[in-house]
Amino acid sequence: MTAPSNAAMSTARTGAARHEPAVLLEAIDVEKSFGRTRALAGATFDLREGEIHALLGANGAGKSTLSKVISGHIRADAGKLVHKGEPLHLRSTRDALSAGIAIVMQETTLAPDLSVLENIFLPELGTSGFLSRGKMRRRATAILEDLGQADVLSLDMEVAKLSAAQRQLVEIAKALALDAELIIFDEPTASLSAGEVERLFDVMARLKESGRSLIFVSHRLEEVLAITDRVTVMREGATVASGLETHSLTQAEIIRLMVGRELGAIYTEREVAPDAEGEPVVFEVRNIAAPPVVHDVSFAVRKGEILGLGGLVGAGRSETAEAIFGLRPKSGGEMWLASKKVDFRKPAQAVRAGVGFVPEDRRVQNIVPDLSVKENLLLAHLGAHRGFGLGYGARQKKVDELLKLLDLPGHRLFDASMLNFSGGMQQKIIIARWLLLEPKVLILDEPTKGVDIGTRQAIYELLQKIAGEGVAVVVISSDFEELLGLSTRIVVISDGRSIADMASSALDEEKLTLLAAPRTSMRKNTAVLSALAVDCGGAGFWALIDEDDLICLNSVVANPEAAPGFSSGEAKRFEETTIPKSLASRGQGFVTEADGSRSTLIVPIRSHRGHDFGWVGLTVPGGAEGYSAEEIRQRIESLNG
Amino acid sequence: MVEQTNTASGADRSQAGASSTNGFDMGTMFKRIFTRLEFRMLALALLIAVALSFASPYFLTQTNIFNILDQSVVIGLVAIGMTFVILTGGIDLSVGSVAGLTGIVLGLALQDYPIPVAIMMAVLAGAGIGLVSGILVAYFGLAAFVVTLGVMAIGRSLAYILSGQTAISGIPSSLSDIVYTTILGIPANVFFLGVMYLLAWLYLTYTKGGRTIYAIGSNKEAARAAGLSVLFYSILPYVVSGAFSAVAITFSIAQILSADPLAGNLMELDAIAAVVIGGASLYGGRGSIIGTLIGVLIMVMIRNGLNLMGVSPFWQGSAIGSIIILALLVERLVSSRTDR
Repeated sequence: MTAPSNAAMSTARTGAARHEPAVLLEAIDVEKSFGRTRALAGATFDLREGEIHALLGANGAGKSTLSKVISGHIRADAGKLVHKGEPLHLRSTRDALSAGIAIVMQETTLAPDLSVLENIFLPELGTSGFLSRGKMRRRATAILEDLGQADVLSLDMEVAKLSAAQRQLVEIAKALALDAELIIFDEPTASLSAGEVERLFDVMARLKESGRSLIFVSHRLEEVLAITDRVTVMREGATVASGLETHSLTQAEIIRLMVGRELGAIYTEREVAPDAEGEPVVFEVRNIAAPPVVHDVSFAVRKGEILGLGGLVGAGRSETAEAIFGLRPKSGGEMWLASKKVDFRKPAQAVRAGVGFVPEDRRVQNIVPDLSVKENLLLAHLGAHRGFGLGYGARQKKVDELLKLLDLPGHRLFDASMLNFSGGMQQKIIIARWLLLEPKVLILDEPTKGVDIGTRQAIYELLQKIAGEGVAVVVISSDFEELLGLSTRIVVISDGRSIADMASSALDEEKLTLLAAPRTSMRKNTAVLSALAVDCGGAGFWALIDEDDLICLNSVVANPEAAPGFSSGEAKRFEETTIPKSLASRGQGFVTEADGSRSTLIVPIRSHRGHDFGWVGLTVPGGAEGYSAEEIRQRIESLNG
Repeated sequence: MVEQTNTASGADRSQAGASSTNGFDMGTMFKRIFTRLEFRMLALALLIAVALSFASPYFLTQTNIFNILDQSVVIGLVAIGMTFVILTGGIDLSVGSVAGLTGIVLGLALQDYPIPVAIMMAVLAGAGIGLVSGILVAYFGLAAFVVTLGVMAIGRSLAYILSGQTAISGIPSSLSDIVYTTILGIPANVFFLGVMYLLAWLYLTYTKGGRTIYAIGSNKEAARAAGLSVLFYSILPYVVSGAFSAVAITFSIAQILSADPLAGNLMELDAIAAVVIGGASLYGGRGSIIGTLIGVLIMVMIRNGLNLMGVSPFWQGSAIGSIIILALLVERLVSSRTDR
């Protein structure tokens, strides 16, 4: 019995007498570059047999690239993989599959017109010999029974008709049909409902019990804490924390590792963008919804302000912008441009009203390759232009101005294709396409994606200059550092909802990451909070509480007299709230403030594995007479686990 | 230089390149001209003309040249509409049967109405059929190939039903004036073809609609995001194509004074071939109306030359097919060397 003490603590471990668990796969100093971008720069990772290992990191940290190296989709430039003590050379996914390594990706790789059964055995269609349908059917049934899912999935169903969760199950069964011992789950819960996530976790637990090793790639910290045994954190392509035991970590520690900066360090480095307070609001959107991704997004942007839309990849930021611009149907919401109500059902309307939009994908959504550079520059003009001819002449003066601004020699306008320019110059031309129209609002989706560092700075300066001239600029970016440096205010979008609207001076990368993290428990908590607030005639909140400040994740105020002085998405110091005493003491019962106006009960929330999920509070007016702290505590604790 | 570039504003790439020569050395300019597909195809057309003039002394006579131009009118008009459609990345297989149907409409209308009214009715019928195809393709998102294949079958069947399965004769002979009068010494139908190509070139090069058609074919999503009217200008080419089919068959009927329900059979293949030989990409966004005109001339010249040499009509299909494939193959090999 040489089991380490922490392993003994873990109740999830199977097997009575465990030795130091054997390492199934090791990745050592893996490097990979795509063009000039270094996706992996010394990634190291080790996976034990029979564990669920989380691979974490911010947007672009390299976790997906590393998964794809391990699954043979991508060949690394340097570094090695060691599988069961032997070096492993993967030239293709087929090599990985024959080594027992499979990946379940967010975008499934199933053949939609074939049946579930045919898809499960799809890899075998590539091998020689005859296939026995009867044998395949028996094996598939056995696999699904092992997963406890035989009732959920009929083998004869056409894959095109399956839900996202069912498709995922087919992918898992497909991996098992190949006797995979190592299964990578890349963001598997992104498109699942809460119930489906539970079911997936049940499947993952069964896979683990059967001795398989799983890698779980996710942004969702709650889920990582709930299901995994160990955690590896990546940042900027390198491993910054390898194989930490999950139960020894808190959310805050993990975020600190992901962000990699000590609290407060950013304040001193950053020059805060000029405040646009006092300027009129140019553009406001309220409660925009565009299913299935965008549920409820609101924000307002002032004249001369750069507003950041932050969030994780897949949170619905691009979809929000597309819905605003009329590129995607909306199911609800209202918009005001210069105090006039507007509704853009197609982009032409938005363009003519003075809204510009630079979509994320340059090649697919911006560049028209068969038109000359000049015509690309004038494309939005053509969209706004009313009349039969081209009207290019009327824009000539502005074109010349822009050329100077972009540092582009005039004759290059006649280049046959924009594709010969660098990514940065392409982006500058696309931005100039909109500047030509002198828009009131300019929305840019990931404006520095695929742009080299030097040109990035030029694009920042360009955006600042535009804002200085009075344009309301909205920037969507997954690079939180960029967002903090560039924007005056930041609206955080998570799971298709705008959940915070804060001055960027009050934020740092850590708080932003915390706010952006999608919360599986959000809906359930909101329901409990509203019920509590209404039943008690007070206000409920859910917050992460530090030593002398807090970040409010959600709040429901049923009685304004009990308002705690902060609302959803705000970060405040205790003394800025109306309940500083309660926040500081967090006692067993209600704590009444010094002025006697409010009393608050604050209860910690823990997951069933004991992880800190923050605090839930109930504030009531006056001295809390007639309230049973114990009963309320019990109601709040029903949220636990 | 600014003034010069200004005048070239709407022009496609070669115009732009050529009009700002003082910014370039001559070498660059020649390279630009020779990398243009139309110029290579023009060279091919001249080569074929020279070869045929050796094969048949009659080929380069004035009579035969007018013959070739005369034979280019019908297919040339259809190819204008086909160019519009192909530039957006679509295809129109129905042009032949729409020509057949609108020919019958013209024939029937001429029994009751004066010539201009009857022609107008036929053209409106063609445009109307194009509108239906365009809406099905652009609004409902059906595949252009399938929609126009369906319209092709319907059009031909309606042509037979309306005509009572026989050709309509008794067309007023004054209709033939649109072919046999001359304008500035040029036969009216050839003159009309020239004017139509000029208008189509001006439209595609110097108007919002024309540039939108190119942008849609090149990158529909980017065109939409820039606020261009993608739906309208995706439908318009099918309307243009339908209308030109009707105009084309009008010229054909004016020559033979009879409207046959079978007229225009396989015309779509000639039109598509001409557009493709003229350098258009079937994926859209690339091609030009000048190229199409050269493509039409190449097709007609080859057919004419083979006739002059007495090659059996049964062999002509093989010859023309081979030359089309060969031209494209050579073009692909050449362009893959100069473009990269």
